[in-house]
Amino acid sequence: MGLMDKLPGGGSAPTSGGIFGQGSPTFLTSKIDAIVNWGRLNSLWPMPFGTACCAIEMMASAASNYDIARFGMERMSFSPRQADVLICAGRVPYKLAPVLRRIWDQMPQPKWCISMGACASSGGVFDVYSMVQGIDTIVPVDVYIPGCPPRPEGLIYGLMMIQEKIREESLSKHFEHRSEDPLLVAQPKANEEEIVGLTGPFGNSTRQERLSSGAVPRGETPEGKTRRNPIYD
Amino acid sequence: MTDHTLGALDAIDDGPLPSDPQRAPAPRFPAAESDHPSIVALGARFGDAILGQRETAGDQHVAWIDPSKSLEILTWLKDDPDQWYDMMSDVTGVDYGGGRPIEVVYQMYSTRHKHALRLRCPLPVDQLEIDSVAPLWHCADWLEREVYDMFGVTFRGHPDLRRILMPLDYEEGFPLRKDFPLRGHFSRAEQTRRALNQDVDRFYSEEILAQNREIQGAAEPELGKRGAKDGGS
Repeated sequence: MGLMDKLPGGGSAPTSGGIFGQGSPTFLTSKIDAIVNWGRLNSLWPMPFGTACCAIEMMASAASNYDIARFGMERMSFSPRQADVLICAGRVPYKLAPVLRRIWDQMPQPKWCISMGACASSGGVFDVYSMVQGIDTIVPVDVYIPGCPPRPEGLIYGLMMIQEKIREESLSKHFEHRSEDPLLVAQPKANEEEIVGLTGPFGNSTRQERLSSGAVPRGETPEGKTRRNPIYD
Repeated sequence: MTDHTLGALDAIDDGPLPSDPQRAPAPRFPAAESDHPSIVALGARFGDAILGQRETAGDQHVAWIDPSKSLEILTWLKDDPDQWYDMMSDVTGVDYGGGRPIEVVYQMYSTRHKHALRLRCPLPVDQLEIDSVAPLWHCADWLEREVYDMFGVTFRGHPDLRRILMPLDYEEGFPLRKDFPLRGHFSRAEQTRRALNQDVDRFYSEEILAQNREIQGAAEPELGKRGAKDGGS
């Protein structure tokens, strides 16, 4: 019987009964990773950062019809200090970018981030002067949920993808996964080239970059009509 | 693709066309011909300062006035018992492009006489200054800040003329001007860097900040400040 024989008392059942009935052991063995990850993934507390219509769908996911409490997320944490998942639901203007970044910096590790909807993920239709073109230029994102807005099923699927991600994490690689350079706090997550690449103009917005007066805007050559995108060219 | 579609794409490629400065402005008529009692009274009292009037959208009466007399005219409209425009519904601005004057628009309503009136002050683009009406109608305070923020019109005598929608240290210009490029002047990387270096505390009034300091007592180390001091990456 291996393990059972080595235990004090020869593995015989205590008087009060075991967890699987009379005569079974009063303990379980498992990997510490499995226990810790099981605890983490079944009690994810979301930090809602709702700025637009996606937030309505997020509220619907929390309400009784969709009920993300089924997955241990019933406690929307309105304080970043007690939160595990940042759900950025909606468009983020540049004026709000430092607020989002500070909330992310205030969340304790381990933490994850969901970018919910087209606007948070890429700027969406708001390819304009005032809007952050994807929050991944500001904070690291684990899961992007497409949709305008995504349905609650989409958000639940995204949260379950985070759960899958947690299930595969290992405590031995904790610092590898989750180390954070304190000097990078409140700094852009992506470097300059990445931001220009990620947010490069596409579609008709390349034309809209020019001034209506016919002058050439800063950063664009008179010859090139469109700015080249370093990622896709 | 049909020729028609290709033609439309070529038109997109040409970008937004500058507004035609030669196009004749909408016709205006002498103040005395108006059906609106206030405009007739304005014409009789201020003479040449009333540049013209017109009726639009069914029964909306519009009068163009001389911006140098605007405060005098608006004070009289508010205080005269036969006019009594006690409600300032909106103060906004219009840029028609092509070097034409930027107009400041006042939309007023008299709750005593049940009259609505719209006044427009054309300001030459090289001389964007007009008297503030915030001392007359307190609601004009924020509305004039918005016009300043979006068009760069300076309101003389305004108690607190700061930007209201864009960040306080926004340096790219005035976004609703026709010569402002849709995606702004700076690159996305520069916009992101500037956004994250904003001091979030500046969004709040000194009163609220003092309350917050009192609640927090010995303040926690401020995460957002460190990056701002380093001056970015």
